[in-house]
Amino acid sequence: MSGSNNTTVYGGDEINAIVLDPGSFHTRIGYAGDDFPKVVTSSCYASPTDDAMTDSTSSSRIFGEAINVPRANYKVSPILKDSIIEDWDAAVDQYSHYFKTILNIEYPEHPLLVTEPVWAEHSYRKTMVENFYEHFDFAALYLAKAPTCISFQQGRSNCLVVDIGHDSVSVTPVIDGISLLKNSMRTHYAGQFLSDQVKDFVDSKQGLAVQSTYKVRSKTPTVYPEAAQYQERDVTQVTTSFDEYQQAKVWHEFKETVFEIPEKSLTSPNPQTSNLKEFYSLEVHRRMFEFPTGQSVPLGFERFQLAESIFDPVSYKFHTQELADKYPANNGELKFSNLYDDYKPIKRMRKAESSQSTPTPAGFGASTTTEARGLSQLITHTLSTIDIDLRASVAHNIIVTGGLSLIPQLTERLYNELCTANPGLKIRLHAAGNSSERVNQAWIGGSVLASLGTFHQMWVSKEEYEEAGAERILNQRFR
Amino acid sequence: MSANDILDVLNIQRDELKQPPKKKLKPTADSNPRLGMARELYNLIGPNTPPVNLSSSAYNTNTKDRFKSKPSPWTRIEFKPRKDLKVNFNHWVKGSRELLESEEETKKPYFFEKFNVKLDIPELVDEETFDLFMKEIEEHEKEVQAILAQRREEKEQARKREREESAKLKETEKSSDNKLHQVKKEPAEVPKESQGDDKKSDEEDSSNEKSETKEHQDEKKEDQEKESEDEQKSELGQKWSYDETKYLFELCSAFELKWPIVYDRYNWHTTSRTLEDLKEQFYRICAKIFESQENSNPALIESLKVFSKSREIERKNYLENLLKRTPAEIAEEESLVIEARRFELAAKKMLLERSHLLTLLDSPQTTQPIQQYQSSQGLTNLYNNLMIIDKHQKKRQLQQQQHRSIGSLNQDPVPPPIPIAASSSFKKDRSFQTHLQQYLSGLLKQNQIVNPSVKQEANTIQQLLAKRLTQKEEEAYGLFFHGTEKLTPGVILRSSQKLPGLQQKQSVLKSVNSVLHELDIPTAGGTSWKPIMPTRKTMTKYDELIRSVVALLDVKKGKDKLEAEIRLIKSQRGLQ
Repeated sequence: MSGSNNTTVYGGDEINAIVLDPGSFHTRIGYAGDDFPKVVTSSCYASPTDDAMTDSTSSSRIFGEAINVPRANYKVSPILKDSIIEDWDAAVDQYSHYFKTILNIEYPEHPLLVTEPVWAEHSYRKTMVENFYEHFDFAALYLAKAPTCISFQQGRSNCLVVDIGHDSVSVTPVIDGISLLKNSMRTHYAGQFLSDQVKDFVDSKQGLAVQSTYKVRSKTPTVYPEAAQYQERDVTQVTTSFDEYQQAKVWHEFKETVFEIPEKSLTSPNPQTSNLKEFYSLEVHRRMFEFPTGQSVPLGFERFQLAESIFDPVSYKFHTQELADKYPANNGELKFSNLYDDYKPIKRMRKAESSQSTPTPAGFGASTTTEARGLSQLITHTLSTIDIDLRASVAHNIIVTGGLSLIPQLTERLYNELCTANPGLKIRLHAAGNSSERVNQAWIGGSVLASLGTFHQMWVSKEEYEEAGAERILNQRFR
Repeated sequence: MSANDILDVLNIQRDELKQPPKKKLKPTADSNPRLGMARELYNLIGPNTPPVNLSSSAYNTNTKDRFKSKPSPWTRIEFKPRKDLKVNFNHWVKGSRELLESEEETKKPYFFEKFNVKLDIPELVDEETFDLFMKEIEEHEKEVQAILAQRREEKEQARKREREESAKLKETEKSSDNKLHQVKKEPAEVPKESQGDDKKSDEEDSSNEKSETKEHQDEKKEDQEKESEDEQKSELGQKWSYDETKYLFELCSAFELKWPIVYDRYNWHTTSRTLEDLKEQFYRICAKIFESQENSNPALIESLKVFSKSREIERKNYLENLLKRTPAEIAEEESLVIEARRFELAAKKMLLERSHLLTLLDSPQTTQPIQQYQSSQGLTNLYNNLMIIDKHQKKRQLQQQQHRSIGSLNQDPVPPPIPIAASSSFKKDRSFQTHLQQYLSGLLKQNQIVNPSVKQEANTIQQLLAKRLTQKEEEAYGLFFHGTEKLTPGVILRSSQKLPGLQQKQSVLKSVNSVLHELDIPTAGGTSWKPIMPTRKTMTKYDELIRSVVALLDVKKGKDKLEAEIRLIKSQRGLQ
């Protein structure tokens, strides 16, 4: 057998499985056993607006980089929200586009592994299973929880997965490679939240011209508050959703290039705050950000202030009510409907105690902890709900992943805050050093999982699905 | 340019003998004509072929072999990861298709299937027996509860008694107080008195309340206990149905008894159960099932029965509290632990020192058992033995004296005898010296026996030694027999000789020095520890002196310490 030669080290057996990891920002598709997905594409698609639907064929959707071409009457819409597929038609369309046209896959030859978030509802999982069996003819299917995949990528069976993504920040304990659902937490203080902050911040500045890259033909570098000097390109009338999609790229670049987490909390009530402000306003900390128009903005204290809201979500006050309403205070608790579809709030272990047992980190008012939980509070709270016997091992294996975790100084700040908040626990953070690895960690984990020889008995074939039905499969196999 | 050319340039005549082999080589070289670099290289090397055969290195042969041999076949083949799984996957396997599709191979299970192991969890019994089990468990629990209740009642009664007694005491106090008050207030008017009484009673009430706060606290504790019991009762009220237990067993087998996961995925209708509830139910039902089976492991049942929910919860609460400590508390605890350890060490050290001192102060202990000398017979034996030893010694001394008289008879040049009184150490050292002489004479005798030829050539010193000088003569000549002590090779001045008594700690030497100063004993000044006239005798004496001073200082130190301790203990006793 192929495995018999080298199983002692590797234990793998390649069966050419396909791994699909739909995230709220990027969707990743590739072969199991690879160290990197073959396809990393935006989780959005472009489609003709309703009034322009002249030839109403399903294939009029546009995916991937082609979205960025300015077209008249084409709107850009997201497929996923919070890692949950919302637009199933588009999703199926996108996946078959990549499976068939790009990767040229023969469905019956490959099994498919799909990642799902821990907060996936039962009904959602049901539609998911149904859709995948119905629309694709894969040999077999498996649904894997994303934190489980991440734990496999890191090779740690007991860990706490902290995924700081685009739509959501989630904290999930993983025990023996299985995600604990009742202890999982999720907030929306993630990438999109910061993008909205950046937009709000830029809009509030007078005289800043923000233009998407595709609209700019030529530019002359200027420095704010000097006005921008650029020439606009003549483009067709595009939809607002397209323009927003393009603008989001500017915000994204802004986050990538200038954000930095301050070493200490900026909103702490102690007298050092003013010093911190002075410290971070120093020339050393100043960075320039050049907008597509060629206009550069010097940013000192602001870039710390904006990034701070990962740890303290209420620190930034939106200027428009609309955005403020978009992010109501969220303490991260998830509500699950149980197997029998009667909704009942999950009784958390020692819920009353937990708020006392988690000493609020310096600088956070007691009122904010229950209202809106920042990153470290979210983790601390999760830790306090985990069974006491597991807490030490989990705290020692905290995996930080997700694109937003790449902001400089984030892990250092997180480590410091967790240590002060949990003096009794020995905290250790694990974050992949490679940035592309950290962004695609769930996919890589799925790739590891689907190429393990021992995993192959877990696949569920279409035949079995048809015999047992979605309900049973979900309860018995995709636990 | 070839090697020949070089030899020609250097005018070196080559041996005629060497040429024939070269000629032999040449045709072989011609047989495969070299071109380009190879030829140039060959010309340089010439007939001088290198000692190691370069052309046939391991690498080259391997690549050749590799080109020649066929690659081992790999086949893409269908397989079933599990017997009952209705799916076929393809994977690449080493080996030819014919081999792999042979019957033997196809019958083999999938390589990784052996890792698919399941826990051995007992099957849940049918509903009737389950009900029976639950009844038994309930009864058992009731019994336990009853016992507990009994104990509690006993406790409560004891408390009541105490309380009554204290109440009685208080009442007596009260009454006495009342009497006093009454005595005081007798002259007052009657209505006022009643008012005062009211006030008094109020005051008393308040004071009683204060005194009773403690009792209240006690009662609160009891209440808490009661509450926890009530909780237990209410949990009992949330009975385990057969279906729910079945669900629990299913989860347990699915997640292989990983309790945190079982608890996480546990979602049964409206019941909310803790992890401990699940464990308790599972363990007690398992114990019942095993008990009902005939060939079951009694140790396993015992271990299953050991599980106690309340203990488990207590343990977890304890751990929780341990984690809740603040950093300051943790630091304090650590420092306390370190301090405690230091104390322990100090105590150990002191005990050790004290035992050392005690042995120092103690009379020397006999190393041999004295029981054999305790009887009268033993004593006579001992006496006889001692007598025999004494006789032997006397005989020997006699013999030696005879020897000496014989020696002195030989008319050898003898220094004028020194009066006995002149050598102070004469009496003391005699036995020692004679002993040395014995040793030496024995040695010489041996020499004589081994090689008599050497004897004739023996030098004058040996001859002199063999003549067995008397004590006085030896002293006069300054002769000294180094018995077994080690000597440093070469010649040394006695003034620079190191005294063995000086091998002490620096601090000890200092105090020794001060003592010597006190006694007005000259130390040749500075750090050199020499008497002014370093003769052998003075040196040995000096060494003796230093040793005894050191011992004295040691004893004094010990004495001080003991005295201090005694004083301490006395003061402690006195305080108490």
